[in-house]
Amino acid sequence: MSDHDHDHGHGDDGHGHHGGHGHGSPWIQHHYDDAQHQFDSGKLGIWFFLVQEVLFFSGLFVAYILYRYHHPEIYAYAHSYLDVKWGAINTAVLIISSLTAAWAVRCAQLAQRRGLIFCLAVTIACACGFLGIKYVEYSHKIHERILFGKKFDPCIASAGNHLLNKENYCPGVKTSVVWDAKTNKADRGCLDAPTGYDWDPALKGIQGKCVVNELTMSGTGANRKEVSRRPVEACAPSPDHGSGHGGGHGKQTYPCWTLEQNPHVCPKGPGAMVHYGDHTSRGSTVEIEVTCEAVPAPVEPKDALAPVDGKLERGEASFKKPVTPSKHDLKHEFQSGPPPEHTNMFFSIYFAMTGLHGLHVLFGIFVYIWLLVRAIKGHFTPDYFGPVDYAALYWHLVDLIWIFLFPLLYLIH
Amino acid sequence: MASDTSSAHDKHDEHGHGIAHVAAVKVLLGTWIALMFLTIITVAATKIDLGTNWNLALAMVIAVVKATLVVLFFMHLAYDKLFHTVLVVAGLFAAALFVGFALMDSGQYQQTIIWDTDKPPPAPIGPRPVP
Repeated sequence: MSDHDHDHGHGDDGHGHHGGHGHGSPWIQHHYDDAQHQFDSGKLGIWFFLVQEVLFFSGLFVAYILYRYHHPEIYAYAHSYLDVKWGAINTAVLIISSLTAAWAVRCAQLAQRRGLIFCLAVTIACACGFLGIKYVEYSHKIHERILFGKKFDPCIASAGNHLLNKENYCPGVKTSVVWDAKTNKADRGCLDAPTGYDWDPALKGIQGKCVVNELTMSGTGANRKEVSRRPVEACAPSPDHGSGHGGGHGKQTYPCWTLEQNPHVCPKGPGAMVHYGDHTSRGSTVEIEVTCEAVPAPVEPKDALAPVDGKLERGEASFKKPVTPSKHDLKHEFQSGPPPEHTNMFFSIYFAMTGLHGLHVLFGIFVYIWLLVRAIKGHFTPDYFGPVDYAALYWHLVDLIWIFLFPLLYLIH
Repeated sequence: MASDTSSAHDKHDEHGHGIAHVAAVKVLLGTWIALMFLTIITVAATKIDLGTNWNLALAMVIAVVKATLVVLFFMHLAYDKLFHTVLVVAGLFAAALFVGFALMDSGQYQQTIIWDTDKPPPAPIGPRPVP
């Protein structure tokens, strides 16, 4: 590195007189020969740091590869819980921020202060956007219990709805049906077509050991949304409850439902029908949520909710009785019953990798805010822009890791 | 090294300090467009069924190309000191060694380390560990 001091017109500004010198940055430390020396030293340091970051992350990639090698079925199944849309948006956001980070270096080198400030600000905004999207993804997963270890519960996840419909794999199972009254179609969940105006959406998933104990129905009408939650037993057709919803519409009645077996929808198995009693308050979209409780004892043959063919034995065999799938079932993404064993390991790896990556993004935000403040103060000059460059290198590495994480976690075929 | 960087940046940099190479706008934007394009490609590629392994290989090839673009142009490695390239290659080599050796004996691992009291994992093959 002896060739740094040739013909650039500032070869004499380094030695000791930092601060107040005409064209030497006050940020050049006295223990460096000159600006070039300081820059090169810092750059060497950040490259060493990035190399150890690669090694640091490679430990997690080893975990990923090993587990995928041994349990490919888990990956093929579990990645469906991830939303490719969010992953792709986040990839784009990070690539945009990488561009602005690289451009910020250019601006600093060319003494374009306003451009530098703009690029740094966009980088921060993109980084915050990335974390915001991660927040959306994480909170959805926490809400639906798509989590690591024993916290993982496919019966709560909406992507696990098929479990209810197919085999009633889940004790305490819960599903929801989104019904579009205009098209008379259920766009999510298992719900058969209603008959005429007084439509009776039927919930088929309630089988075997499952006893419905609670219904939640919410509808979005022209200008209001109502939610009712009550035990089924308490849901008599008398529309005299006026509390708990709506506003500014005077006294209103709860819609009311009763559950009964529905032989039309589920001729070969038990089913249930929901009567929606309040025609006037029906909205365009009705969401019905049923919570079932598992009954540990084998069901009686005369039980209205029992399987019909009566060949069930004691124990868990009765719990996994398959039911003839309807055309609605075929639309479900998963056709193969309960998740493979140890699916939760995928989410352990997912949260470890994306979590560590997210921490790097968070740290990058702090670094870039610090850079932005310094850029506004005018600290960065063409002979002192090292911090901008080093942070950009770090930020590119964060982008690089995501470039690999995105296909490995979201795009499993 | 530094002499060719100085001739490269003199076109862009009137201030003439030449501490490091200044990335051209064309290069930055070109790299960015290529990265965005490859992102779209890699998402679209999952719609094509090549078999699990080939889909994975394709996705990884695209990821490696993207990573190379980022390293060469956004991280300036194409214009940087040779020693930084040596560092990166050495780091990747070390990571490859780590991953490779970890995978070499992966057949020796226990089936599961998740302890389920109802279904204890099978005992590992080999002599008992000395306490």
